Amino acid sequence: MWPGVLLIAPALTAIALLYALPLLRSLITAFVGEDGHPTLGNLAKALEFYGADIVYSILVALGSLALIAFVSIAIAGYLTLGQSRWAVPLLRWIYRWPLFIPFIVAGQTARSFLARNGVLNTLLTDVGLVDAATATSLLDWRGLVLTFAWKQIPFVTLLLAGAMASLDRSTIEAARNLGAGRLRCLIEIVLPQVRPQLLVALVLSLVTIMSVLSVPVMLISGNPTMMTAMMAHRVTFYGDYAVANALGLFSYLLTAVAAWAYLRMSLREKSN
Amino acid sequence: MGTEALSLEEVSIRLGQSLILDGISLQVPAGSFTCLLGPSGCGKTTLLRAIAGFAPLSAGDITVGGRSISNLAPEARQTAMVFQSYALWPHMTVAGNLTYPLKLRGLSKVERDRRAEAILSLLGLEGYGPRAVISLSGGQRQRVALGRALIIDPPLLLLDEPLSNLDASIRRSLRGELRRLQQKVGITTIMVTHDQDEALAMADRIVLMRQGRIVQVASPEALYSAPADLEVAHFLGVDNVVDLRPGDPVAAGGALAGFRTADARVFTGEAPAGLDAVLVRAGTVTACAYAGGSYHVSIDLSDQAGNESLSGASGAALSALSSVPVAPGTRARLSVPAPMLMSFGADSRLLQGIRQ
Ligand SMILES: Nc1ncnc2c1ncn2[C@@H]1O[C@H](COP(=O)(O)OP(=O)(O)OP(=O)(O)O)[C@@H](O)[C@H]1O
Ligand SMILES: [Mg+2]
Repeated sequence: MWPGVLLIAPALTAIALLYALPLLRSLITAFVGEDGHPTLGNLAKALEFYGADIVYSILVALGSLALIAFVSIAIAGYLTLGQSRWAVPLLRWIYRWPLFIPFIVAGQTARSFLARNGVLNTLLTDVGLVDAATATSLLDWRGLVLTFAWKQIPFVTLLLAGAMASLDRSTIEAARNLGAGRLRCLIEIVLPQVRPQLLVALVLSLVTIMSVLSVPVMLISGNPTMMTAMMAHRVTFYGDYAVANALGLFSYLLTAVAAWAYLRMSLREKSN
Repeated sequence: MGTEALSLEEVSIRLGQSLILDGISLQVPAGSFTCLLGPSGCGKTTLLRAIAGFAPLSAGDITVGGRSISNLAPEARQTAMVFQSYALWPHMTVAGNLTYPLKLRGLSKVERDRRAEAILSLLGLEGYGPRAVISLSGGQRQRVALGRALIIDPPLLLLDEPLSNLDASIRRSLRGELRRLQQKVGITTIMVTHDQDEALAMADRIVLMRQGRIVQVASPEALYSAPADLEVAHFLGVDNVVDLRPGDPVAAGGALAGFRTADARVFTGEAPAGLDAVLVRAGTVTACAYAGGSYHVSIDLSDQAGNESLSGASGAALSALSSVPVAPGTRARLSVPAPMLMSFGADSRLLQGIRQ
């Protein structure tokens, strides 16, 4: 037994020191008052001050995930079932680009693209779809959803298209042979077979969305905004780690619920 | 759905550099049962895939009931194919697999379940409906795949070795069922098989393929008694070939004769009377194995003593049946009645088939 423990000791120590300990410390801080006694005051304060931001974060995250799922399924589905000799290779080549662009650059680009007199509105005005006088800025929840989706769609598509490519191709052919069009084939034959990979990709995307600071800071001025921005605000302006950690607790909870739902679903799938 | 005649005209398929199908022309009458026979890799699966719409033609045309289907999407072609790899949907139950094609056609749940029950009992799979397909054995999966295609009464049924993984008794009964169903509904059927007995027993017509071409199209009887050339003959169980000599009882001009082991006899003593219409060769017994009802004897002609000359490249080893065991090493003679001989020219094409 001891040689085994010795072998994994360095890894265990690193995990304990670098991950478990800070996590535990921040969790505990959320429950410790200024007087050093245990309290629920920080949580109450976080809810009272930032309740709207928590709800806002959840809604933006869900909205982004819905958009990400929809577009990724469409792209991966087209890559798998598409027949065009030029469109499929072109799409395959192009869709990954945003993967290599950092969030902060994405945020900056979105700012100039989505602003009231930004590129998008200018284009729409030129085409005549939008009246210059009534053009509105998209730098609100819509900007967040669009930016998160733009950044995460390639990632989810990458996992999804990989999973679809490794499916037994003849299951798709059998469905089409027996009368299923390509769309039905995607929804009823391909998607159910890659659902586990889709869920993993979406849970990972949720974690990313809940932890990105640069995008909300750059796109959103004022309230409500994402929890990350408020945590940063709490720390930089007030040095108040306790309430910031209490707020962080809600992010943990949210991602934990998603992870738990995913694990439960994959366990149930394995059992039957 | 009515049944339709299928016609292929000069169909060619090129995948990458190689020509997989090379100018295939074939008329399949409505309601007929056609078997595709041929060595592995000769393009049988590719031909079925071309008809189903999964292998784009590089030349030629395919018509069903007189209308070209070459440019139709697979789902619009109204064929039902049983894939060599089964291609069942792993996320559905057995019943789910069987009823999905009906769901696509908008049938009610009650009707779908009724038909699934009927097809499950036809396939000997009663009670398997709620099972997951990944929990089935290979043969059970193969039957579900067959049922999934049969359930929609397709006008055109394409079967890629649909019975290859079943045990002998299920195979026999399903052969009968399939043929009965096909004749009752009159489904135009094309079936790939490696089993010549299956092809002979089930088909109205057999198409023999080789290296992407059709070599022969014939009724089972005609193919059995008059295969187009030596290679086809070999494929149809003609496992003995000898060089002909003067005096052999075959038509003039032949270079080689072929016969089936079951038609040849071995004897060790004096030649039986009336040998004039018989081909005879002498040699040494190399092996003798019981083959149910009689003994399968192998005879080697190459180490012949006396004045009997050595056969050429072919015919060094022959086999025949014997009613009694013969010890290896024994000198023996083999005889084949003249009507059971097929003679082939030097180019290995058939000159004269079996006469009955
Ligand atoms: N996608 C492909 N690309 C290139 N060559 C292929 C492809 N699919 C099949 N082939 C080739 O085409 C030829 C015919 O294949 P096919 O599957 O039709 O043979 P088959 O007659 O069904 O053989 P079997 O009896 O072993 O199933 C083979 O030589 C095979 O290697
Ligand atoms: Mg094949």
